[in-house]
Order: sequence, then C-alpha cells, then structure tokens
Amino acid sequence: MRTENKTEGQPLTRPKIMVVDDDPDLRHALSLRLRANNFDTVNAGDGYSAIAMAKKERPHLIILDLGLPAGGGFTVLKNLRKYPTLADIPVIVLTARDPEGNEKYTLESGAIAFFQKPADNDELLGVIRASLQAGWGLGRALQSGPA
Amino acid sequence: MEPEAGHILLIEDNPGDADLVRLRLEEGMSDVRVSCVPRLSDALASLDAETPSLVLLDLNLPDSNGAETFHRIMQKAPNVPVVILSGRNDEALAINAVHQGVQDYLVKGDITSKQLERAVRYAVERQALSRSLEIARKQQIEFKNRFLSHISHELRTPLTCIHQYVTLLLDGLAGPLAPNQTDHLKTALKSVNQLHAMIRDLLEATRADSGKLRVEPRCIDVGELIQQAVAMMGPAAAAKHLALEALPDQTIPLVYADPGRVIEVLINLIDNAIKFTPTEGAVLVQAAIFETDPTLVCLSVSDSGRGIPAELLPKVFDRLYQDPGEVDNNRTGLGLGLYIAREIVTLHGGSMSAASQLGSGSTFSFTLPLFSLAKLLLPVITFQGRLRDSIVLVRVELTPLANSLGGSWKETCQRCLDLLRRCIFVDKDLVLPSTGGSGPSETFFVVASTDMAHVDIMIERIRAQVLALPRLQASSTLRVTAEKIYCPASDDLRSDDLKSDDPRSVEERVAGVAACVTEIIQHSLKSKPNINQKETHENAN
Repeated sequence: MRTENKTEGQPLTRPKIMVVDDDPDLRHALSLRLRANNFDTVNAGDGYSAIAMAKKERPHLIILDLGLPAGGGFTVLKNLRKYPTLADIPVIVLTARDPEGNEKYTLESGAIAFFQKPADNDELLGVIRASLQAGWGLGRALQSGPA
Repeated sequence: MEPEAGHILLIEDNPGDADLVRLRLEEGMSDVRVSCVPRLSDALASLDAETPSLVLLDLNLPDSNGAETFHRIMQKAPNVPVVILSGRNDEALAINAVHQGVQDYLVKGDITSKQLERAVRYAVERQALSRSLEIARKQQIEFKNRFLSHISHELRTPLTCIHQYVTLLLDGLAGPLAPNQTDHLKTALKSVNQLHAMIRDLLEATRADSGKLRVEPRCIDVGELIQQAVAMMGPAAAAKHLALEALPDQTIPLVYADPGRVIEVLINLIDNAIKFTPTEGAVLVQAAIFETDPTLVCLSVSDSGRGIPAELLPKVFDRLYQDPGEVDNNRTGLGLGLYIAREIVTLHGGSMSAASQLGSGSTFSFTLPLFSLAKLLLPVITFQGRLRDSIVLVRVELTPLANSLGGSWKETCQRCLDLLRRCIFVDKDLVLPSTGGSGPSETFFVVASTDMAHVDIMIERIRAQVLALPRLQASSTLRVTAEKIYCPASDDLRSDDLKSDDPRSVEERVAGVAACVTEIIQHSLKSKPNINQKETHENAN
C-alpha cells in the first residue's frame, strides 16, 4: 500500500467504508480504489458476516451488493435497521441487478443511493463523499454516545 | 384415445332445426349431452354458468345477426371451439368465420350424424391443440426473456471486475504507466464499455419484447435535450472531423416525454449518423412542429453519409439489423439500437421513420406529443360539464442544502412527487408533471379545485407528508405556497361576463385556465433565483 497518503496531513481517522460483495476480486479492486482516495476499508463477503462486521467495525458507510449468500442485500438492509448503533450508517447499493424494480425498493429499504455495476468511479466517489459530509456529525454523535 | 364430446351448447332459434341437430348428435355419439338455447343472450348466460366442450352456432338469431354472433360468443368463451351451422345462402359468411378462428361450419340440411360427429370431435381436438401450442409459445417467449435477462446479469459481474481493474491501472493507482501502456488500457476500456452497452441493449430489447419497457413522461424542452445530446456526442463527431449541429426551432412548446429516454433515442440516432458519415461530412439535428399533426413535434437527425438503399430502408428498424457494408472498420453493436429507439418512441405515442437518398445521406425522424395542460386538466377542473367553483395553484419547492447528492437527490424529488399524489383528491386535483428545471431546486405544482380559504388544509397535509421523508429535513428545505387561479364568485364583483353567461364552451374555459397556469409556472421558473418574488407569494397565502 502507498503509505505516503497517510502522512500528508490527513485527519487522524480516515472515514471507514465497509465493502460487502461476494466477488473477492471486486472487493479487492474497490478497496484499492477507496484506500487510494483516503478511506479505510473493511470487507465482508456475505450477508451474515456483513452484519457481524458492521457491529464490530462500525463503518461510516457501507457499499452493499444485492445478490449475496447468507442473506441478500435487502436482508442486510433490513437487519441493519434493527440495531440502533447501525441504523444510521449510510448504505450505497452497488449491484449488477437492474435499476428497474430494484432501485425504488432499495431506497425504500433505507439505502441512500443505487448504482448499477459497472458504476462510474467518479460518480460513486462523489456520492460517498457527499453522504459522509452530510451524515458526518450524525455518525460522530452516535459513536460517542452510549452504544 | 378418442376425445370426449361431453357437453355441447346448441344455439339455434328454429325449433325444427334444433331438434334435428340434437337427434343427429345423439345418434352419432353416445357420450354427448346437448343443451339448446334459442337466443344469444341465453347463450351468453349459459356460458357464464358452465363451460361446454363445444358450441354449435346458428349465426342468425332473434337478438343477433351474422359475424356479430360468433364474435360475441368467441369473446365470451375464447377457449371453447365453435362450429357454425349455416344455411345454403350464407356459406361465404361461414368461411369468413373460419378465417377468424371458428373451427368449422356445417350446412344445415346436408348434415348427417356421421358428419356431425366427425366435425364435433375434430373441432374439440383442433381447439385443444391450438390452445396448447399457444401456451407453449408463450412459455417459450417467457423462457427466452428470462434466460436473456439472467444471462445479461451474469455477464455484468465479471465485466464489472474487468472494468474496475482496468480503471485502477489507468488511474495510476497501481503505479505509473508508460504511454503505450496507457493506450493499450484505453483500448481495453473502450471494449469494456462496448460490451457493457451491448448487454444493456440486450436487456432493453428483451424488455421491449415482453412489454416491460417503461417511460416516465414529464414536461420537457426538446431544444434543451437536443443541446445536451449534441454536447455529449460532440467529441465523437470532432474525432471524425464532422460538423455536428443542432437547429431546434426555438418556438416549440413543451413536449410530454421521458427526458432520459429521448436523450437515449437522440444519442442512438446521432451515433449512427456519425458512424455512417465519412470524414468532413455533416450531421444536423432539428426539431419543429410536425407538419401533418400540430399536436406533435418532429425531431430529426440528418447526415451527409452514403445513404441507405431503398430496398433496405424498411428493414433498418428490424431487430438484429446490421448494415451490410459498414464503413468504419469498427465493431458495431448488436443491431438492436434502432429497434429499441423505435419502441421507446412508440411508447410515447409517437412514431419513427427513415428516409434516404443513396449517395447523399439519410434522415431519421421521430415524433413526440406536445404537452397539453388543458387535456390533463379537463377531467379534473370540470364537474358535470361545468368549470368548478374555484381553482388554486399550489407550489411545492424543494431546495437541497448541500451540493447535490447525485442519484439520491433525484430520488428524493421522485419520492416527494409520489407523496404529493397521495395528498390530493384525484378526481378534483392534479399534480402537474415535473417541469424538469435545470437548477438545483425542484418545484412541483398542484392544480387544486379549492379556494384560498381551504387550501391551507392541503398545504399542511403536504408539509407533514414530505417532511416525514427520511433524511429530508437534514438535506433540504421545503416551501409550500398557494395562489388563486380562478374564482368566478369574486370575479363577478368586477366583471359580470364570467359566471353563468360566459359565452365560451367549457373546453375553451379550461384552455384559459391552462394558459393561466402555464404562464404562472413559466414566470416562476424564470424568476427562480429571485427570493423576493417567492416571499410575496408566501405572504399572499
């Protein structure tokens, strides 16, 4: 990993993004790109570990695939809402599925954005930054409050 | 196994003929039960109560005649085989009926029991066969569509991976690249994008086939869309040294269409024009009111390419049509682009056509319906043939606080629009289609059949519903205001020609209201940045 990024006067904690996708190669590539853009990353490859990992790591944002083993993306979205500490983490859905029939349901299930694969990298990063800015205070408040 | 004749419904008004046919039937087949009715109305009632295995039908009944008779029966029971009993003088009609799906006909007077039995059994058999063929055909289409849809999704997953790694390398995230490496990767990325476009076309065509293609029309300015499409295709035209020009008639009123879809169609046509026009040529995009029908606008893309031979012209919209003599040595798409484009235009209620002069170029044109507010308003603001008592325009303005959240903002606006539709009475209020303004804030309008004294109830309902949207309060501000459009009771005080003795027809008066609403909307969209303007409306409320 290129370490020089970390020393260039970045904030002490970089926003942490959890990538949930069952394709390890894609997880790897996405994580590389996110880290190059000054985010920390954690990964999960199925619905069950997504929730476990989210509880453990408390990411600031989640990028979520819909077609997942052990509980699909919609189940993950539903389960996230069950935990007060996880309920407000912004979720961006990134899926090979069609927007038609899925986008509306995704947003109704609480995700903040829907991207179809392959997504434009700049657009995806733009939405990540915008939602982190908008929800940053909220995330902080939750982290310092009683869990 | 011999098919069972079962229950036969005999529709015959002449008691002599009816008895004869019944006798012949019972002679020929031991397993048959015959019920006989003299009128079409009785027959329809009987079909409601019980489905027979066959209908024997005289076409001339006391309450129905000729082709009408079998149309009604086949409409009522499309899966029941029908055999016609015709007289000697209406055989032509009977043959015609067979062309339209009746299984057989028998000429009364010539009927033997053997012949009748044979006709009945064959008709039942044939009907069952054609029905199972139809079911199999539908299943096949359904299977094909599901298969294509599944394949397209599966193809996307590895494609996404390739896309991600190629862009990682191209963006230098895995170390610096030599110039020729960059070129190679760009070529790879171009192919990835082509493949992506093909997968998308495949899905779209599959959707079009199964009637699942959707358009969401709203009020749009086609001139603006043409400018956008031309801007997007500019680089491709410049790369071939083509002049790409847009010449929309500036006076075209708003069009009622799905902006994303219209851009898709325009880009498809411009892309084709660029592809088939040699270097230094020209591509021209135009829009004007359609000459033969002024309720349509006609958009066209003309090129100075080599043209399409007359015999191929009707085929260009076919699925999988590909130009036999491609100029560029480029890979083409799947040959689905024009097919999808035409489907999209048809869904809007327009049509698409192509004209060409071999050697001097081609023109692809399509029509879209002009937006008619009066047409939308008529059923809402009139009641029992009269204009409603009072009409108010409610304006709902949503402004994002931070810089746009991309797709998320668009979705917020869509959800706001959906909510608005729940805040109104559908039979007397109308949420106007989005005006597609390009600024950051979104304004929705509701025409409401109420007066200024009662509109507050609606405003409160809208505020409560919209502000309850998750994350809305953190990301945007909401302003809901109302203004009077029409209120004859108070107008009467000033002018005595408005109410009951208004000489204009209801349609003309609705058109007047529509014009008034349009003027206010246009004015408010133009004066968007002017805060004071909005405040006065707020105060007026």
